[in-house]
Formats: sequence, structure tokens, C-alpha cells
Amino acid sequence: MKRALTLLSFGMALALVAAPLLAAGNPANGKTKAAACFACHGADGNAVDPQYPRLAGQYYGYIQQVLHEYKDGRRSNPIMKGFTATLSDQDIEDIASYYSSLPTKLDTLQGHVQGD
Amino acid sequence: MIRLQLFGLATAAVLLVCSGAAHATGDKANGRTLVYTCNGCHGVPGTDNAYPQYPVPKIAGQNEQYLINALHGYKSGDRTHPTMVAQAQSLSDQEIQDIAAYLSGIASK
Repeated sequence: MKRALTLLSFGMALALVAAPLLAAGNPANGKTKAAACFACHGADGNAVDPQYPRLAGQYYGYIQQVLHEYKDGRRSNPIMKGFTATLSDQDIEDIASYYSSLPTKLDTLQGHVQGD
Repeated sequence: MIRLQLFGLATAAVLLVCSGAAHATGDKANGRTLVYTCNGCHGVPGTDNAYPQYPVPKIAGQNEQYLINALHGYKSGDRTHPTMVAQAQSLSDQEIQDIAAYLSGIASK
């Protein structure tokens, strides 16, 4: 009985730890929260000015990673640091979920290198 | 008078040549050769970076000036990803332009 309880609590602890990793952002909330991004990155995620990256269809996990890097300064960019400063982890998941879900012009290099 | 006109013409010609150089674009064919190295990580859909784990970004079809800025960021150390710093430091400014010209010109499906 005691062992069962121990195992159960161990399982619950694991579930609690894993939950945030599996939680997906909400793209509809992300669209609202991403309003400030539209001027440079476009509402459709395809920046018109070529100095800004296209975000539409970029990987969900990559957009999250980069937003965290801008926020904590690992990737230095004064403009993006300003925009990411107030974002919560949930905001970042939602925004990444929105942009990654849009129709994309991006692709991997598969089929685009010499010899392919 | 004719001399003045000739001078104007010559000045215009020089300006034209200079502005042409300022807008020099990358060589897409050379870019296509150069991106062979990038293929190991950026060529396999869903490849993950290790420690921390996140997907390696899609770079085909990305905007040209952004790619140039990003590669220069790695080259100068403003961006710190170790593998990308090493790769970018092996590239000349011209090669960075060539890669950006090729990648940004890839049409999406």
C-alpha cells in the first residue's frame, strides 16, 4: 500500500513536470497578442521589408526559442528585447503557435542543394 | 560649353557605376554550391538542435537582408550559437551575399 502511494505520487510529480512541456499555445490568442509584431513581420507572417524575417510556417519550437533568447538577452537586438520583455511563457507559446500555423513560403534545404 | 556637358555626362556615368556597385547582389549559382554545408542541419525536416532542444529553422525562402544580417551577427559574435559562429566565420562577405541571394530566391511549393 505504501509502495503504491509512493509510486502514485511519483507518477503525479512526473505528470506535473511534463504538462508545461506538452502544452500547446493557442493560435487565436496568439493572433491578438501578436498585433504589435504586424508592422514589421506582417499579419500573414511574411515581412515585406527584406531586413525582417518571415515567420509564417516557421517551426513552433524555433519561434519560442528565439523569443526567449531575445527576452533574456542571449540574442541581442534592442527592438526585439523591448517587444519580448513583457511576454509571459504563455504569450510566447500563443504567438509562436499563431505564426507557425500560417501558410508558409519557407522550406528546409531538402531538394535545394547541389546534386539534388 | 561642350566641355561642361561632357563633364556632366562623365559624372553621371561615374555615379551610375558606383550605385551599381553599392547594389551588387549575390551570385545565386555560387550560393547554391555554398549551401551544401548547411544541408546537414537545415536540410532535414524536423532536425532538432541539441542542448537546448529546439527545431533547426527553415531558411529556404527567408528574406535576403535578414539572412545577411543573421550571418554577419554570427560572424561578429553578436549571435552566439557555436556551430553557426564557426560556419559564418569561414564565409567572406561576398559568400554571405551569395548564400542569401540563393536562399531568398527559392520559390515555395
